[in-house]
Amino acid sequence: MKNFFKSSKGKEFMMKLINNLVVFLFISSFFLVTHTYGGEKRLLFHAGLGQRMALNEIKAVFEKRNPDIKVNFSYKGSGYFIADITRSKQGDLFMPGEEFYLMQAVERGFLTDYDPKTDIPAYFVTVIITPKGNPKNIKRIEDFARPGIKVGLGNPRSCAIGIWHQKTFRKAGIWDKVKENATLSAKCIPELGNATQHRAIDATIVWATTAVLYLRDVEIIPIEHKYRGIIRLPVGVLKFARYREESQKLMDFILSVEGRAIFHKHAYAINPVIPVDKQGFCLDGTTDKDMEYLVNAAKAVKDESFPVTKETIGDLAGQVLRQKKTKRAGD
Amino acid sequence: MALRSRGGWWPALCIGITASILAVYILLVTSNWIYLGWHDTLYFFSKSRMWERFWLTVWTATVSTSFSLFIGIPAGYALSRFRFPCRYLFASIIDLPIVVSPAVVGAFLFGITTRFPFDWISEYYGIYISRNVYGVLLVQFTVTAAFCARLMKASFDMIPVRFEAVSHSLGASPLRTFFKVVLPMAKNGIIASMIVVWARAAAEWEGLMLFVGATEGKTDIMPFAIYLDWNGGMMGWVTSMSIVCILMAVSAISAMKLIGGRSNVW
Repeated sequence: MKNFFKSSKGKEFMMKLINNLVVFLFISSFFLVTHTYGGEKRLLFHAGLGQRMALNEIKAVFEKRNPDIKVNFSYKGSGYFIADITRSKQGDLFMPGEEFYLMQAVERGFLTDYDPKTDIPAYFVTVIITPKGNPKNIKRIEDFARPGIKVGLGNPRSCAIGIWHQKTFRKAGIWDKVKENATLSAKCIPELGNATQHRAIDATIVWATTAVLYLRDVEIIPIEHKYRGIIRLPVGVLKFARYREESQKLMDFILSVEGRAIFHKHAYAINPVIPVDKQGFCLDGTTDKDMEYLVNAAKAVKDESFPVTKETIGDLAGQVLRQKKTKRAGD
Repeated sequence: MALRSRGGWWPALCIGITASILAVYILLVTSNWIYLGWHDTLYFFSKSRMWERFWLTVWTATVSTSFSLFIGIPAGYALSRFRFPCRYLFASIIDLPIVVSPAVVGAFLFGITTRFPFDWISEYYGIYISRNVYGVLLVQFTVTAAFCARLMKASFDMIPVRFEAVSHSLGASPLRTFFKVVLPMAKNGIIASMIVVWARAAAEWEGLMLFVGATEGKTDIMPFAIYLDWNGGMMGWVTSMSIVCILMAVSAISAMKLIGGRSNVW
């Protein structure tokens, strides 16, 4: 037996050598494969998950026009980004789901030339959604306080919609009653959409861009002006951008009329000026037309005979046709 | 010797419990499949996007599994056979990635890849390590390598040392003994473990979420694609891809049972 262990020492040494060799190969494989990337410029775009469909469309158009630039997204929940960027110091562009997250980056000095006046390509608008058929007959913000209504709220610590729930119901003076009605504290906004779709809750407030994803299974109810929130959606070039010029080019494209039009197809509001009060609530009917399109789009998906034209549903035809194609949404 | 399974309440209860949990799982799958509907099943299963994701998952999991095996087989053998200093410490550290959440692995990988020499590499070649498919492989490898070593250790533990001793006494070198005696005997266990490791790699998601983020068609392996589509409200994609994942898992487990049926790992 003693011999066996003695000889194993030599073997152990060899194993170490093999291990080292494998690790070395693994690392060097990075060199090999990365080398092929030489020619193209690859932008790394940190973007909130909610912007995925609109941004994928923008990427397709942009890459076609600039064949030497490729856009790589790193889609995540907006809450993940600050940690990621702080740690990795990587990335060219940044477009989280709310200005709040971008301001965190500005505070930490990751974005130096952010201009809140011009760098907003699109806005979210809040709407009420209920399960198909609106079983509890929700019509206004005040209805959320009725006893026995199952309300879905967002957690203000993890998603922006939570903050807006709080703001809206406080303004209406029914926050305490709504809190009693709450049966769901969502970590992210699609959770609210899915809960409504599966009838787990009777009503909630989400962005119009979220509501448009569930046209077949929810009813959409526009909110009156004084409770209708307008949320700014900013974009910026990060300080440590590797391809600053190209990043700026993409950002300019996003901010152009053409880029904004793509956002409009996904139910973002793109009016250059939307008058709002200090808290961010709507002051006039600038977004009324968009709300009408959204309600009509929900009708069009559910009802085959509803006319799908520019007059009835605006730019939402893409969304409507996509969701009409299958019973469960896909693309 | 098999126990008599009839004529007692205890065997009946045990079998009943097994049957009911099985019924729950079957209900889970069928109810979701009914929710999707036959027309949509055909539609989504015939889309190229589904099969691109599928192959992406298969090939990344396969590559990272083979890297894991390179490390796992020698490491498992060393832990199973040799006495060396701090052996138990090594064993515990190797167990770590199994116990801690893959999210931690993802977060810690950031710490490595943004420092020397990786920052230098990424600067020189003008790429972002971790934002491409190699980041996916790295996460899968880091999470599964330890798992692999652990399973390999279990496989090697089942083989009596006596055979090696005999091989040595007949004059075979340790390397020859390993390849001619130990490996063939551990074959079943190794293959079974390999499939488990593969399935674990294919299911990895948390680490990717933190470390890589999704680029569609490049780094969104199936679990990640399901999460992305869930966020996009695309229940059709979510359900159909989940069904593909389940079918994948079922075939992996069946393959494992078929090939490594008599191994002692699982």
